[in-house]
Amino acid sequence: MNVRLLGLGEVPPKLAEAVLAGLPRSFAGGEIGRLPVALENCYDRTRAQVDASCLIERIPDPEPGWSALGLTGVDLFMPALTYVFGISHLGGRRGIVSWFRLRAEEETAEAQARFTRRITTEVVHELGHGMGLVHCVVPDCAMHRSLWPEGVDLKRPEYCPACLATLASL
Amino acid sequence: MMTMPVRILVVDDEQHIRNSLAAWFREEGYEVGVAASGRDALAAIARDGTHILLVDIKMPGMDGLELQRKVHELAPDATIIIMTAYASVETAVQALKEGAYDYIVKPFDPEAVSRLVRKAAERYALLAENRALRERIASASPALITGGSPAMTKVIELVEQVAPTDTSVLITGESGTGKELVARLIHARSNRRFGPFVVENCGALAEGLLESELFGHERGAFTGAVGRHRGKVEMANEGTLFLDEIGDVPARVQVDLLRVLQEHEFKRVGGNETIKVDFRLVTATHRDLEAEVASGRFRDDFYFRINVFQIPLPPLRERPGDISALAEHFLTKFSTQMNRRISGFSPDAMAALVGYPWPGNVRELANAIERAVVLCHGEKIEAGHFPFVAPPGSSDHSLATIEEAHIRQVLAACSHNVAQAARELDIDRVTLYNKMKKFGIERP
Ligand SMILES: [Zn+2]
Ligand SMILES: [Zn+2]
Repeated sequence: MNVRLLGLGEVPPKLAEAVLAGLPRSFAGGEIGRLPVALENCYDRTRAQVDASCLIERIPDPEPGWSALGLTGVDLFMPALTYVFGISHLGGRRGIVSWFRLRAEEETAEAQARFTRRITTEVVHELGHGMGLVHCVVPDCAMHRSLWPEGVDLKRPEYCPACLATLASL
Repeated sequence: MMTMPVRILVVDDEQHIRNSLAAWFREEGYEVGVAASGRDALAAIARDGTHILLVDIKMPGMDGLELQRKVHELAPDATIIIMTAYASVETAVQALKEGAYDYIVKPFDPEAVSRLVRKAAERYALLAENRALRERIASASPALITGGSPAMTKVIELVEQVAPTDTSVLITGESGTGKELVARLIHARSNRRFGPFVVENCGALAEGLLESELFGHERGAFTGAVGRHRGKVEMANEGTLFLDEIGDVPARVQVDLLRVLQEHEFKRVGGNETIKVDFRLVTATHRDLEAEVASGRFRDDFYFRINVFQIPLPPLRERPGDISALAEHFLTKFSTQMNRRISGFSPDAMAALVGYPWPGNVRELANAIERAVVLCHGEKIEAGHFPFVAPPGSSDHSLATIEEAHIRQVLAACSHNVAQAARELDIDRVTLYNKMKKFGIERP
């Protein structure tokens, strides 16, 4: 599986590169691109957030052997939910991740490294959903559900052996 | 793929809401159906059966309350969670009086809805003795490769014994013996296995940092704290908190930990809010804590609190029979990872492995095998691929010394059954007897 990281809005190139470089070895390769989207079309004024279920539909279907993942800095929500870190089409090889709520709580180099690792982990998570994986009970597996940014730190940007086996059988 | 028998039905007249909630729960691994009205919902329940219903209280036609009454007749065991807007909380309270499990206010906090549904689903998952999920946990949870030594069999027994209880466990042993693996195994075998497993290495951080890592901090608690940070204690709620190198925790932080263990609540650094927590504590240390207590470096009240049940891990040199099984395990693992075709160890290499005292224990063994796999370009790992084997000519690691050590280990592993040991060593019995005589090895 190859990965296409698509910037939705402004994405620091260094960040996208770091995320791509941090993906597990089970991915064959990847590339970085930009998708010109009008974020305001999915913007909810009363909530001052972007509707993730609207935004994900702007991502075109990837060709076979590829997963497409949108990367954005806007605050995402889903109807009925106050916020999400990201969403994806289960088995549809499309997803989005926002770093809005993953930002570091401190101004140190360690906190910045932690921030990059969080985004990478959530990218691996949504890519996993895109390939058909559901949440995993293994605490440090990327497919474990995290509801807090600090909870993302407990995971590794990798799939556990059970999830890898599931991926191989899909 | 994992199949969860728990079925959820989302009933809401707003298509946007029911579809996004359905997607959210499908990612969780649940089977999810949707219904646009009370009528549709009743049809779906009759057709597919349903364990958990999320019901919007305000719907045209049959409203949530009316649907709830009908569901009670049709499927009395189903759990109903009411979804409401702020304006209609009173109606939700009425639903609770009539037997709803709980209610949530739209838009939901992902954390709250996830917890609520997990709580409801756990009852079914546990009742149904969800085999698929159990097998997944078993296959994904860390395997303790024991090689079948009595010492490690005992460890496994202790883990099985203590895991289902909520007792605090102290794991002791030299570094590299696999203390974190044992902690993970305890969690995976416990009733908290669906909850988080949270690790903190207490030896790696300065006192102030450790406090903030454990208990979290509020914005502005110290210079550079630009946002709220949840600590490990808070994140371990409903799960297991594993504190490695507990012997390195400063006395002041010991007091804080003791307090949260006794009172099940704490405050973030720089915060006023009291936060309730419920976690199981597993700790580990390579130090002799009793000696630390005796010398006053470790608080005795804290020691008694964490040392309710102790699991000592034996060093690798005390269970030489496990070395070959572990070595084979790591060889398969690393050669698969690096895509190398290595069929096994040469006899010299295995003799070197078994004869080495392994001060760094299993971790050192894993590192040695990984390095050997990188260096090895033939079909078998040779003794020369190991960093601890001196080049030829050095008397300490002469072939004879290694051979003697290996024979002693294999004999010990075979309970001094010479026939069996000869088979293990791939030599005949007479040769083995001669070698035993040469090295002065006697049967006990
Ligand atoms: Zn997810
Ligand atoms: Zn997993």
